[in-house]
Amino acid sequence: MSNSREEILYTIRRGLKGVSSEETTVERNFLSEAEEVQNLTKELRSNLKTQFIDELTNVNTNVAELENEENINKTLLNLIKRKELKSFSIWESEYLKEINLKEDIKKTGLKFIAAKNKNKIANSDIGITEVDYAIADTGTLVLLTNKNQPRSVSLLPPIHLAIVRQENLARNIKDLFIILKSKLQNVEDITSCMTFITGPSRTADIELNLTLGVHGPKELIVIIV
Amino acid sequence: MGFEEVRFEKNSDKAIQNKPLQKALVNVTDRFRTARNKASKEVSDWEELRSAAREIKKNTIANLDKYLIMLEEKVIKAGGIVHWAKDAHEASQIIVKIANDRGVKLVVKSKSMATEEIELNSSFEDAGIKVVETDLGEYIIQLAGEHPSHIIAPAIHKTKDDISALFSEKLGVPHYEKPEELTKVARERLRSEFLNAEMGVSGANFAVAETGTIVIVENEGNARLTTTVPKIHVALVGIEKLIPKYEDLSLFLSILARSATGQKSSTYVSFITGPKSPTDVDGPEEFHLVLLDNGRSGILASEETRESLYCIRCGACLNICPVYRHVGGHSYGGAYSGPIGAIITPQLMGIDKASELPFASSLCGACHDVCPVKIDFPKVLLELRKNVIESKKLGINSGKDLIEKLGIRFWRFTVEYESIYKITNKLSYYLQIPWKRSNGKLNALPYPFSRWTDKRDFPSVAKKTFRERWKEIKAETG
Repeated sequence: MSNSREEILYTIRRGLKGVSSEETTVERNFLSEAEEVQNLTKELRSNLKTQFIDELTNVNTNVAELENEENINKTLLNLIKRKELKSFSIWESEYLKEINLKEDIKKTGLKFIAAKNKNKIANSDIGITEVDYAIADTGTLVLLTNKNQPRSVSLLPPIHLAIVRQENLARNIKDLFIILKSKLQNVEDITSCMTFITGPSRTADIELNLTLGVHGPKELIVIIV
Repeated sequence: MGFEEVRFEKNSDKAIQNKPLQKALVNVTDRFRTARNKASKEVSDWEELRSAAREIKKNTIANLDKYLIMLEEKVIKAGGIVHWAKDAHEASQIIVKIANDRGVKLVVKSKSMATEEIELNSSFEDAGIKVVETDLGEYIIQLAGEHPSHIIAPAIHKTKDDISALFSEKLGVPHYEKPEELTKVARERLRSEFLNAEMGVSGANFAVAETGTIVIVENEGNARLTTTVPKIHVALVGIEKLIPKYEDLSLFLSILARSATGQKSSTYVSFITGPKSPTDVDGPEEFHLVLLDNGRSGILASEETRESLYCIRCGACLNICPVYRHVGGHSYGGAYSGPIGAIITPQLMGIDKASELPFASSLCGACHDVCPVKIDFPKVLLELRKNVIESKKLGINSGKDLIEKLGIRFWRFTVEYESIYKITNKLSYYLQIPWKRSNGKLNALPYPFSRWTDKRDFPSVAKKTFRERWKEIKAETG
């Protein structure tokens, strides 16, 4: 196997003989760039929110806009009641713990299902997450995996509900990568899995008919606070 | 590649007779092309993005050895295992061995052109391992025992009724009519495969050298399931998929989704770095990256065709190509179709196995205009045509080539002298009369001219030449 490695690298180097390998690399300071875009973003915040909501709507996402975060739990409990859900899965992230969402839902009699067992979470009625970032001009949610934020919660249940805090909005993907990179000064700290989500799961593989929920969640609900 | 010699002319003859295929091709290419045009116009600096993307690809390829080693180092640091495969056979062997060593019985796969290229499924089947395609289009194709016909929409040659009959026959379900019902059947079947599979195989759209991250772009969520649910994740990645820096992704993701389907962003993008971390609750315990050469390093050596490796597999060149729009994906043989297939298949398989492909183009250059990394398709096609002719020892091996050669000599003779040109012009006006139809077209000329009129009508030679008419018009208008 290592033979193939040497062979491939040798063929590449031979093929590139005489090709200029010079690269114009601009040294960038992502920490200061990130600070700059975040300041710009603050000024635009209310415009960005409007744009974000428009884009979410364009990709078949249901949006609820809340005045303040005290209403999150109430809104969610109403929704659960309306949809007659029986079970739920949820991220155990700091913010969601802070607002005590998991306990409040449990009180209404819904069964909590942990992400650890794939067969169980596949039968959970709804997966609830927050987001680490969101991109305004594409309507994209950005989720980072860590010990409190498992991948399956936004993937296996048929409904994914995401709570987006306004301060996590980035203008566009370019700004987002500046922010991400500024936090990656030590690239070893990168998450095992980052996921961008733009709307519910979709396919057009049968005669180009748009069909939602082919593999991932059929329904995506975003609550913005 | 395990594929047989590509018979483009023969394949395309068949495709042109296939009425449902013709309809489907128009639908899919129109839809994607219109969406792509709209999406690219919404971006004010689209042309700058294309140039920047090309520049990054050019630099990456010029330093490919360095970046591959960097990628390898980072993937290992993240806890992954890196394998190098010089050809299709070795890549299949590596992946099947990973599965065998761990007693894997069921593999789920997300859509990947590279695994099509190495025909991985047949290697799994030979080893007695069940492999299930999970992209809806690919699932349909696998049930039907066919190959994909479009990079983005692999089953586009199948109608709803075909799929309904196929599901009913292979899955024992009733004849469902609605796409929603058929999709639901697939979702239920594939969910249980995902939950039971011990291994997931994916490709990648990009591999980031500085972080060891592989990036997978999709709409269905099957790639997320493939890389999340089974215990082992294997990614097969062509060595040309590298990009140097993490932040380069913002540019490439922006142009890929818009060029492919006209979406601002695809539904899901997964950025995977190694296996699950020890503290993660879910995700695969093992991550294997298989780096595939299979002829790519050879393409590097040719300055004229090197840019074939810049391709990001968006499919925009298929949707705009007047040839693809008529002949469809299967005509190109191999895993890749359309203009990109016409340039990459002969280089990966060897020019002798796909010698008709560089000629499967009118050189109109529309592909060059839409390509997000500005691959100069006409230039590469001409270079490959040259290689084909050279490999056939100056093209006088067959009667067909001899006639072509004589024809070109005669043509040269007629255009070299003005008087002869004028005479042959007049002469051909009268010579064509027996074959001229009432609509003024020629549609059944004798051999060797039949090679033009077999597949399309040819405009007849006009009575007056352009110069004669020009003179008349000038005289009339003073």
